[in-house]
Amino acid sequence: MNQIDPVTASVIQGALQNIAIEMGYKLMRMSYSSIIRESEDFGTALTDAEGNQLAESLQSTPLQSGPIPGYVKNVIEVFRRRGTPFRPGDVIMHNDPYGGASHGPDIALIVPVFHDGALVGFAGTTAHHLDVGALSPGSCGIVDAIDVYAEGLQFKAIKVVDGGVRNEAVWQILRDNVRAPDLVVGDMEAQVAACEIGAERFRELIGRYGIATVEAASRALMDHSERMMRQAIAAVPDGTYRAETFIDGFLDDPDPARRELPIVVSITVSGDEMTVDLTGTAPQVPDRPINMPLVGTVDIAIWLTIRSVLLDSDIHGYIPQNSGLTRPIRIVAPRGCLANPIFPAPVIARFTPGNQLADTVMKALAQAVPEKVSAGIGNLKVIAFSGLRGETHWVHMEIFEGAYGGRFRRDGMDAVDTLYANTRNNPIEDIESHLPMRVTRYELRENAAAPGRSRGGIGAVRAFQFLEPGGFSVEGEGHRFRPWGFSGGADGVPAELHLIHADGRDEALPSKVPYHPARAGDTFLAIGPCGGGYGDPLERDPARVLDDVRDGLISAGKALADYGVVIRDGQLDAAATAAERRARAGQGAPV
Amino acid sequence: MHLVGVDVGGTFTDLVHFGAADGTTHVHKAPTTPDNPARGVLEGILELCRRFDIDPGVIDHVYHGTTTATNAILEHDGAECGMITNEGYRDILHIGRHQRPQHFSIQQEIPWQDRPLIRRRHRLTVPHRIAPPRGEVLVPLDEDAVRRAARQLRAAGVEAVAVCFLFSYLDPAHEARARAIVEEEFPGAFVTCSAEVSPQFREFERFTTTAMNAFVGPKMRRYLTDLAEGLGRAGLKADLHIMASNGGVATAQMVAARPVMTLLSGPAAGVLGGRWAGALSGRDNLITFDVGGTSADIGIVRAGSFAEASPRDTWIAGFPLMVPMIDIHTIGAGGGSIAWVDAGGAFRVGPRSAGARPGPAAYGHGGTEPTVTDANVVLGRLDPGNFLGGEMRLDPAAAEAAIDRLAGRLGLDRLTAAEGVLTIVNANMANAIRSRTVQRGLDPRDFTLVAFGGAGPMQAAEVAAMLSIPEVIVPPHPGITSATGLLTTDLKYDAIRTAFQVSGQIEHRHITRALEEMEAGLAAQFAADGIGPDRVRFQRAADLRYVGQGYELRVPVPAGAFDAAAEAALFARFEQLHREEYGRAFPGAPKEIVNLRVTGFGETVKIRPAPRPTGGSLDAARIRVAPVVFRTGDGLAAHQTAFYRRDLLPADTPIPGPAVIVQQDSTTILRPGDSFHVDQAGNILIRIAT
Repeated sequence: MNQIDPVTASVIQGALQNIAIEMGYKLMRMSYSSIIRESEDFGTALTDAEGNQLAESLQSTPLQSGPIPGYVKNVIEVFRRRGTPFRPGDVIMHNDPYGGASHGPDIALIVPVFHDGALVGFAGTTAHHLDVGALSPGSCGIVDAIDVYAEGLQFKAIKVVDGGVRNEAVWQILRDNVRAPDLVVGDMEAQVAACEIGAERFRELIGRYGIATVEAASRALMDHSERMMRQAIAAVPDGTYRAETFIDGFLDDPDPARRELPIVVSITVSGDEMTVDLTGTAPQVPDRPINMPLVGTVDIAIWLTIRSVLLDSDIHGYIPQNSGLTRPIRIVAPRGCLANPIFPAPVIARFTPGNQLADTVMKALAQAVPEKVSAGIGNLKVIAFSGLRGETHWVHMEIFEGAYGGRFRRDGMDAVDTLYANTRNNPIEDIESHLPMRVTRYELRENAAAPGRSRGGIGAVRAFQFLEPGGFSVEGEGHRFRPWGFSGGADGVPAELHLIHADGRDEALPSKVPYHPARAGDTFLAIGPCGGGYGDPLERDPARVLDDVRDGLISAGKALADYGVVIRDGQLDAAATAAERRARAGQGAPV
Repeated sequence: MHLVGVDVGGTFTDLVHFGAADGTTHVHKAPTTPDNPARGVLEGILELCRRFDIDPGVIDHVYHGTTTATNAILEHDGAECGMITNEGYRDILHIGRHQRPQHFSIQQEIPWQDRPLIRRRHRLTVPHRIAPPRGEVLVPLDEDAVRRAARQLRAAGVEAVAVCFLFSYLDPAHEARARAIVEEEFPGAFVTCSAEVSPQFREFERFTTTAMNAFVGPKMRRYLTDLAEGLGRAGLKADLHIMASNGGVATAQMVAARPVMTLLSGPAAGVLGGRWAGALSGRDNLITFDVGGTSADIGIVRAGSFAEASPRDTWIAGFPLMVPMIDIHTIGAGGGSIAWVDAGGAFRVGPRSAGARPGPAAYGHGGTEPTVTDANVVLGRLDPGNFLGGEMRLDPAAAEAAIDRLAGRLGLDRLTAAEGVLTIVNANMANAIRSRTVQRGLDPRDFTLVAFGGAGPMQAAEVAAMLSIPEVIVPPHPGITSATGLLTTDLKYDAIRTAFQVSGQIEHRHITRALEEMEAGLAAQFAADGIGPDRVRFQRAADLRYVGQGYELRVPVPAGAFDAAAEAALFARFEQLHREEYGRAFPGAPKEIVNLRVTGFGETVKIRPAPRPTGGSLDAARIRVAPVVFRTGDGLAAHQTAFYRRDLLPADTPIPGPAVIVQQDSTTILRPGDSFHVDQAGNILIRIAT
């Protein structure tokens, strides 16, 4: 059957979506570690027999669901090479960052789906695991790994359940080689359960409609998303749009090759197709893990940013996420650059560089569609806090938020995850009830917002105190470079990190910190970045400047300096403001 | 004994009167008065009394479903509020969970940032901090700072103050002290504390719920005062009870202090009404299916009781809301849902709705977009001359024109397109039901679908068939099922305490004492409401999870001392529920009691079934026979179909489908192969062909 009627296509699309959502719901609720169930750093999806994505869950973070087809395609490829057949009852574990995985800690569990003896698709889940047996506790902030072997266990298309029989040896090896094995294995069991339910529902769907109809509907579904993307690209003026930003690199490293790291994006729009060329991006850093897997991180960063800008769900409504959406977009990344590293270059800390790449894509698009972007985003940090109790580790992972740049019609979003990440923080009341840590502050940063007609989003200040000896490791970005202002808006404000020792000494830290011990009473203080401003600050409505002053976000002094708005005794002086703004306009350049 | 139920909707206020002496029921509809809803309620009651010759003075109880607080939130039209919170944590309400509501959007709004319930200028901090596990004081409350903050908020002109301290659920005394100081400094302010509103962990959600209580508090207090005064002036001496989201009612005094408990009460009354209708026919495993013009509300009743939503799944206007509420799944699919072709060429229905104005094209009020109702008209399933009991004449030509435009864009013929609209909307509804049944380990074949609201009975048979649900019930008055539901429930109050106790280290005495204290607190509340111990019963439960998980399952806790046997039973039941809900359990893994809960029920007088008038006959009821289009195994075709007037149908007479049953507030549709009868309770029972 090549053609399918639009009614059946719509009904099957809804059913596939419903299955992926159910998988996500169950995984999130059954899982143990807060990185999955609170931060929502997991993904679920269904693919066809070739690994093309048919549907994904709505709850999961985009950097998890998006890569699932890449994982599946590589597993298919590896099995073909090895001559290993898929069999009913298989469960396959995979986390090879040179084989479609986003990075090592994002471990996929994949279940093949059979109908009448034939392979018809896959139900897949990914989740960020708390520990994968790397050199220091936790699976983030391993910023001193020198190659992928130092990043922890590698599972390259391993059948952990083979035709319904558990491969106990593999599970035992896993258990013996990760810290917090109960949490890690518990989360994997939840992933397997979610895959199995997905596979069962997928089989039921095929049973109800027949394989030919479901396949035709799947094709129609992907064609539909492809058409949506092509139309969106066609609306962008043809041309080439280039942008460059920098990542921090290793700020305390004497080697400039680890400090000066540009990311370059050239987007060429031609009719309804788009090429994203990363030529000019810094060469890979061969012995530090900030390289980004091309499949699983770089592609997702690019696709996600393009769809968030051109097919913004706030404007276009819900558009099914599937492999059709990415067909009109071609990616070029020279082999051996940061965005296409060569095995075994390490990649485990690729999270924030990848988000910087996403920001650079948006910066390039800003030239073409200025009303659809935000100014530069403030990037994120991931921290692993850990300690030993007796012979058992506790590990807690926390993602520290950034902020968006100002937008055409709205100020930047304050203190949120940005672009390809959309996780959640952990409640203070949960953290302190379960861990030897205290959150001593969580507030917006004052007097730091980037001025603009729409001001940049404001970062958060968050402090964690150790109540027992322990340690932490950090991977982050945004200490050295200001998020870009746009269209006359000011640049944003970088992030900072401090360890305030129990004796009061303030130790400034860079954005990447390999495992660092902490004593009881030490406080880990993160000051979040503020996104760039959008538009000329002198055009900002004085009433909104007054609001920010009344809300204690900026001082009256800054209102005058940044916006030319005169506030006296908490009241707006409209005449003086007009005069001030006229005088500045006469001088030509805005602040 | 006389009861009146009043349910205020967007367009109409529905009223039901029940006289216990003779068992009679009267129903009435009055226009809603959005500018001052109290006026519409009052006039509605007086009209009802006049129409049925009832002395307002004899009414004992008024049960009232109100959207006053809900509308204040949805329209963001509440009080200017202040907040007093811990130093160092001024922006919990603003940062939230640092997650964006939409993954794929740059231009989106963040509700708690773009429309804050309490603006930052009014969020003041004071030195104070306690810590787990027992509320140890790290920084004592600075009472002078509270006093200064209260004065500052008063000077700033706020009307309401939320007192929100971290970990207040461990020891509510600090918030209570701060509240007392605020009340001294700022008499007349609406003051609310987070541990009173929702004493459970997760600060953003608890503080937001408390802020919402402050935001709607002054408005609700005024509304209830106005209404009580108005009722008094009109000669009513009745008690006023208000419907709450938890499926019970509360006294007006309780709701005046905690209006947040009514925010999701609208759909709750529907579930109660559906449950009541099911019970009349002896059915207690029900899926309630309340479909109006814009949305469908789906509730699950198992063995006569309904599930409560996880406090992590309840939202309003984009804000999280942590109060007990019936688990109701709402989707944007109803009679007015618009069918459209998206930019990629896909055929979609909803969630946009034509609403009441202009409404479907067939209403003739200028609507041109094709809706679910128009599709029903085109297929001949709605009788243009007998819609809403003949009160509204439908315009089939307008419906056909709207569907034809859609069909043209899809390359389909008129009837295929119309039937496609229904198939898609029904599939959306079936998916919604599936998410609350199949996905939770429940088999829809074990349930009866109770269909009501204006559009529920139109779609019910096909939705049931998609899910293999064997039977559909349509209550006597589908359009006022919610108002009836108001008269079927008890006073219901909830108490909750966060426990955090792990298996192997359970402090039995501590738990027993906590449960007893909660029951004593509720008993005192009921006593204050004039309900004696003989009319009060309690239900205990606990929220459990495996240690490390973040989502809890609600597990019943037996009455009596909580000992080792009770603990073992509790954990065994938890594993069973975990297996049902998620398909798997992890025996042997440590478990955690997160919250303890007690729900108190104070018995009230309820409506009883009306005696079913006998008589009627098929011949009298049959209006006409006309072709109606259905899809069967043989494809899409017109079938000769009988149209019946519901009020003239005989009881207990099996009637084969296809059939269309018309009545004033809805139309019921049966497919070929289905059959139905009217039972002694007056319900239509449809047997669904498989």
